[in-house]
Amino acid sequence: MKRLVYFFIAFLMFNANNAGGQTLPAEGLRDNTPFVYAITNATIVISPGNIIENGTLVVRNGVIEDVGSGIQTPADAWIHDLEGRTIYPGFIDLWAEIGFPDPDEAGRRQLRALNIPAEYAEIAAQFLIPPSEQPASSGAVHWNPQVRSWFDASSAYTYDEDRVKRYRAGGFVLANAVPPAGIFRGRSAVVSLGEDDNTRLVVKPDVAQVVSFERSRGLGGRYPTSLMGVISLIRQTFYDTQWYESAHSAYTAGGRGLERPELNLALGSLIPAGSGMQPVIFDTGDEIGFMRAMAIAGEMSFDLWARGSGYEYRRLEVIRDAGVPVILPLNFPDTPDIESPESAMNVSLEDLRHWDLAPENPGMLSNAGVRIAITGSGLGNNKSFLEQLRVAVERGLDQDAALDALTLTPANLLGLEQHYGSLERGKVASFVVADGNIFERSVKVEEVWIDGKPYEVAATGKTDLRGRWQAELDGIGQIEIEISGTETRLRGKLKKDDKSADLHRVRTDNQRVTIGFRGDSIGVDGIVRLSAAVAEKELFGIGEMPDGEFFNWKATRLSDHEESRNEESRNEESRRPALMSELRMLYPSMEYGFEALPEMPDNVVVRNATIWTQGPLGRLENADMLVRHGRIVEVGRGLDVPRGAVIIDATGKHVTPGLVDPHLHSSIRGGVNEVGNNMTPETRIIDVIEPDNIWVYRLLAGGMTTANLLHGSANPVGGQDAVVKMRWGALPGELLLEGAKPGLKLALGENVVRNTNQYPNTRMGAEQIIRDAFQAAKDYVAKQERWERERTGIPPRKDLQLEAMAEVLRGERIIHAHAYRQDEMQMLMRLADDMGFRIATFEHTVEGYKIADILRDHGAGAIIWTDWSSFKVEAADGILYNARILLGQEVLTALHSDNTQLSTRMNWEAGKMLATGIDEITAMDLITINPAKMIGVDEMVGSLEPGKHADFVIWSGHPLSGFTHAEQTWVDGRRYFDREQDMLMREEVRRERAALIQKASAAASDSQGSGGQTAGRTAGTN
Amino acid sequence: MDTKRVISVTIIFIAIFSGMPGLNAQMPAIHQAAPVALKGGTVVTVSGETIRGGTVVFENGVITTVGVNAEIPAGAEIVDITGKYVFPAMIHARSSLGLSEISRVAETVDLSEHGSINPNVRAQVAYHAESDHIPVARTHGIAIAVATPTGGIVSGLSAAMLTDGWNWEEMVYRAPVAMIINWPNMANARVRDNTLEELSEAFNAARRYKQAIEAAGERGVPHHNRDVRWEAMIPVLKGEVPVHINANEIRQIQSAINWAEKENVRMVLVGGRDAGYVLPQLKEKNIPVIVTPVIGGPSRQWEEYDRSYTLPRMLYDAGIKYCIAGDFAPAYAMRLAHHPSSAVAFGLPLEEAVKTVTLYPAKILGFEDSMGSVEVGKDASLIITDGNILELSTVIEQVYIKGRKVEMDDRHRRQYERYMERYNRMVDQE
Repeated sequence: MKRLVYFFIAFLMFNANNAGGQTLPAEGLRDNTPFVYAITNATIVISPGNIIENGTLVVRNGVIEDVGSGIQTPADAWIHDLEGRTIYPGFIDLWAEIGFPDPDEAGRRQLRALNIPAEYAEIAAQFLIPPSEQPASSGAVHWNPQVRSWFDASSAYTYDEDRVKRYRAGGFVLANAVPPAGIFRGRSAVVSLGEDDNTRLVVKPDVAQVVSFERSRGLGGRYPTSLMGVISLIRQTFYDTQWYESAHSAYTAGGRGLERPELNLALGSLIPAGSGMQPVIFDTGDEIGFMRAMAIAGEMSFDLWARGSGYEYRRLEVIRDAGVPVILPLNFPDTPDIESPESAMNVSLEDLRHWDLAPENPGMLSNAGVRIAITGSGLGNNKSFLEQLRVAVERGLDQDAALDALTLTPANLLGLEQHYGSLERGKVASFVVADGNIFERSVKVEEVWIDGKPYEVAATGKTDLRGRWQAELDGIGQIEIEISGTETRLRGKLKKDDKSADLHRVRTDNQRVTIGFRGDSIGVDGIVRLSAAVAEKELFGIGEMPDGEFFNWKATRLSDHEESRNEESRNEESRRPALMSELRMLYPSMEYGFEALPEMPDNVVVRNATIWTQGPLGRLENADMLVRHGRIVEVGRGLDVPRGAVIIDATGKHVTPGLVDPHLHSSIRGGVNEVGNNMTPETRIIDVIEPDNIWVYRLLAGGMTTANLLHGSANPVGGQDAVVKMRWGALPGELLLEGAKPGLKLALGENVVRNTNQYPNTRMGAEQIIRDAFQAAKDYVAKQERWERERTGIPPRKDLQLEAMAEVLRGERIIHAHAYRQDEMQMLMRLADDMGFRIATFEHTVEGYKIADILRDHGAGAIIWTDWSSFKVEAADGILYNARILLGQEVLTALHSDNTQLSTRMNWEAGKMLATGIDEITAMDLITINPAKMIGVDEMVGSLEPGKHADFVIWSGHPLSGFTHAEQTWVDGRRYFDREQDMLMREEVRRERAALIQKASAAASDSQGSGGQTAGRTAGTN
Repeated sequence: MDTKRVISVTIIFIAIFSGMPGLNAQMPAIHQAAPVALKGGTVVTVSGETIRGGTVVFENGVITTVGVNAEIPAGAEIVDITGKYVFPAMIHARSSLGLSEISRVAETVDLSEHGSINPNVRAQVAYHAESDHIPVARTHGIAIAVATPTGGIVSGLSAAMLTDGWNWEEMVYRAPVAMIINWPNMANARVRDNTLEELSEAFNAARRYKQAIEAAGERGVPHHNRDVRWEAMIPVLKGEVPVHINANEIRQIQSAINWAEKENVRMVLVGGRDAGYVLPQLKEKNIPVIVTPVIGGPSRQWEEYDRSYTLPRMLYDAGIKYCIAGDFAPAYAMRLAHHPSSAVAFGLPLEEAVKTVTLYPAKILGFEDSMGSVEVGKDASLIITDGNILELSTVIEQVYIKGRKVEMDDRHRRQYERYMERYNRMVDQE
């Protein structure tokens, strides 16, 4: 059989010149070789569950002419007997990274070579992957080089033999080739994985727009640098597409006198996707990225396909309910580095859990009814797709479902089900031949047929030299050579009479073998060197004695390498324990995650506590608080306890509102600053909330329940903020506190003038650029209003930057302005006066005490630190008495952290204020009701008053004492943190980690020797 | 705390400010001329029992009497401290006080010398007596801060500096305190091996140098030129000056301990974030630990949220010699007391916690005989407060450094006064 395949291959090569498209004129003689085969005696899997035993498949000119058992073989067909083999429909990959050079590839290779730890890779990439010096494109394309939606894979696809061979080895016959670079990467094309002229290989152009959350450094361009910038760019580009379409139709219809709209191939190419006519494949990155893609798809109404991440199982219900097809990689993580106790300590439970659960992701998704298509991408260089596929099957993926996810599902999604996806009559003859059930270990794929032509995929005729050889060295005598080791690293022994010695060297390049050994055994000093032409049974070669004398030698094989086959199959079996994970699902799937949302009791009564209401009732001793369905009902003495209420005896304890931090940068994914532009009001923290951050839990442990997550201060106009509650275990959107006042960050002073390559470089310029932006927003609003009135001409473009600025002008969005010095605060208040809005708060407000009266008169709040100063020049005048003076001048004042760890101990921060002469109730206001007012959530949180959210903290003692810690933290009437519970969870974390480390140890020791990999590093610590 | 207390805080507060001299004064204190008796307060001696209704007398900067019915010498200034507390002044065991002013402005930072082996550089000579941060530390009860160089492998020699005085020579309390070593990151084998090799070579060179210099005058020994680096290391090799090794992770700590034993040098572990995982070794090898800082988050995702706060408690339970240093930044030396305070919130006994910033640093730094407690014969470096020194709300009313009554004035208070004046004038104008 093997010989037959060689024949085919040789035949194809011979005909390579004539393999052109149908329109290609003949050069030389015409090739009329028939392509008619009858494959016989095989088990044929027509489609999942539809199997023919002992069947025949007739292939004519690339098409299945007939298939079945007992069918007539055409007389002209070349018979190919595949007895004992199983034939499957060829696999289809919806996300294939082939066919195009990757502009970042060289840099990535360099990064890999340097072996830089994952946590520094991003930083290193900035230096090692330079933006390309050549403009990535010319012509009427997008201003941003990352927007390459115009890129057409079908016009750029290049056959890459090495990569295509790897795909074929995995059983793939057809691939959706995704363009390699950019945020908008361009339009994918389906290509056949055979070898042919491009016009024959491209099966379908313009299949889907491909979008990624990551920019390609090699393409250059300053913006965007952050994930929130990327998302803003994606949204703006879709809005621009809508505008582009309408502007051009208005121009076409409107005739003369209109300003000509720009011609932009990127936007023009996006019109089909933007109007839902063409799918958009999003590279999601993880399950939260999946949700981000869903949100964008929802807003823009496009047809989303998700390129999955392997993390979908962590939010299975959400993924299922999304109803989105998922293109799933089998990128199961390597065994974490748990070799020593201290290296294991640096692996998080999150990573250990993922290692254990990831192989079950495909099965879990499939069983949940998610429409999955399996991709061969994402495996890295060292892993075989089929091995990973078998792991997935062993870990719960049904075999028929797996086959479906590789054949029918992708064929249907591509709209190619007429021709691909099964082995029915009339379909394309692209199929896989295996020597057994392809989903079982050690079964080999022998051939892949594509468009009716066979391709061999098993290792091509490598000679295994291992075994015992009898060698005859001319003029020296007989020795026995035993070659062992692995196929890539041979070892050997030499035996002469009863003496034995290790070979000095055995190497082969599959053409020649070289052997060296010490001459002691044959009575000479030095190294004897041999070489020979490689052959299965007999080696003929030459040798050189230490003294330079040449001789001939010959060796005959005595036996094959005995262990090789056994060893291989044993290793194969033991590589990964097929034990199903015994882990409970946790939300989030990491240390201290919850099995379920903490329950919300109908009624909760906290009894006999010192209750700091931070409302009109003040602080009540020996008081009770009644909570019903997540809301506070009453605070007072001797309250009636409803039947069945959860009663918390808080005798000797203090109860305060859940703390509020008006300025935090935690739980933000992909960068706190968008530094690609000095104006980024379009960026939104809500797009990048990262709920699965251990600090959410740690904040709860410190009594923090509500925080405003802000854009950083790199730009005069920053981004839009997000007010969240610490709902540990919730989805990103569920963290948002509904009804909070939307805000926009502005920034002044040193941070915004630091970059000398961009405007502004001075505080003078900072004023002008902000003024300019608000003026632009006014003009923008005027233009839109005119359009609404007149509806003639070219419609105005929706500008996400100016939309946000306009919301400020309308009073729908409040300003939080980062400022240290008094001069810049004064400037900004005057600017706001001129533009007709108010600065809601200054952030940091280090010199607020110098202009407290001016802040008060403007109505600006002051958000401050207790004691930060002198870390830069503009912070030099920070003083402990800032709050005292501000409060004395009746400025609304709050404390902020600006630092996640600090945010876990804001009660101590407020406690520090007592030593500056501020009274206790006022000090508590600084971290509860005052910040709540400043971010527009004081109707809901910040004090313990009837009707408000039941967000409260039970403290071990006086909450402003340095000796006090939080005992319980409740959010929405749910007990999210309880120190007693925490003690149990610590045990649970320890126990679960220990069990997983045991399991990983077993897996790691099993895989030793079989080349199984252990991850060099994992980014386990935080 | 109740309303009464709030009022009393305010009164104290007003008292502090009304006694303040004019702007820009902030003068070093005057040498103690006459005996002083602090009479009738709660004396937290730290080393012994707390004395209620006690009196502390000091003369020429040294404590002469501590007790309930202490005899007050004739001519003594008697300070009525009824209802108040006396604590020993605090010692900050690792700080950049005096060496750094504004961290972002390189010209104001003298912390890290060029090169990686700098055993000879001395912190005290760069201690900027006029630093704005020194009076802040002083008014917050810190009498001594160990000015500590950073960077490289051997950063230099740290110095215990007083927070009161006209110039560095006056302000040196003990120098050198220690030679500072930074242990390399053990996760990166290349960096680790290169660094440790460089460190060993330095010690080896210093030993050869010491032997050669000591052999001077013997027969056949020629003149050896001086080498300032190895010269500075001789006291370390002799065991007269300890090495303070910054190490946090388990592998760093264990490697450093082995190294110190091999090199036969006196080691103090600084940082020690993972010290809780190697307690028996620290105990057996009798390695003191300067914990710095206590307030912080865990370093690993799975660790307990209070891991950092509970480290002092673990060291205490294990019977390991330790003390607590606070934030390194000069402006934040004033937060020193908050670190043991946070350990109290998570189980360290309060009385023990007070020792971690008074008696214990004095012991580890080598001046237990003169600092760290309210005892006869020790320096009269004392604090008068309205409450426990570790409590956040406590106001420090007066600080004495070696008997000198320091001005309770600093940058914070000065700016407060200045701008209160602005608002007061606005009221006057109305």
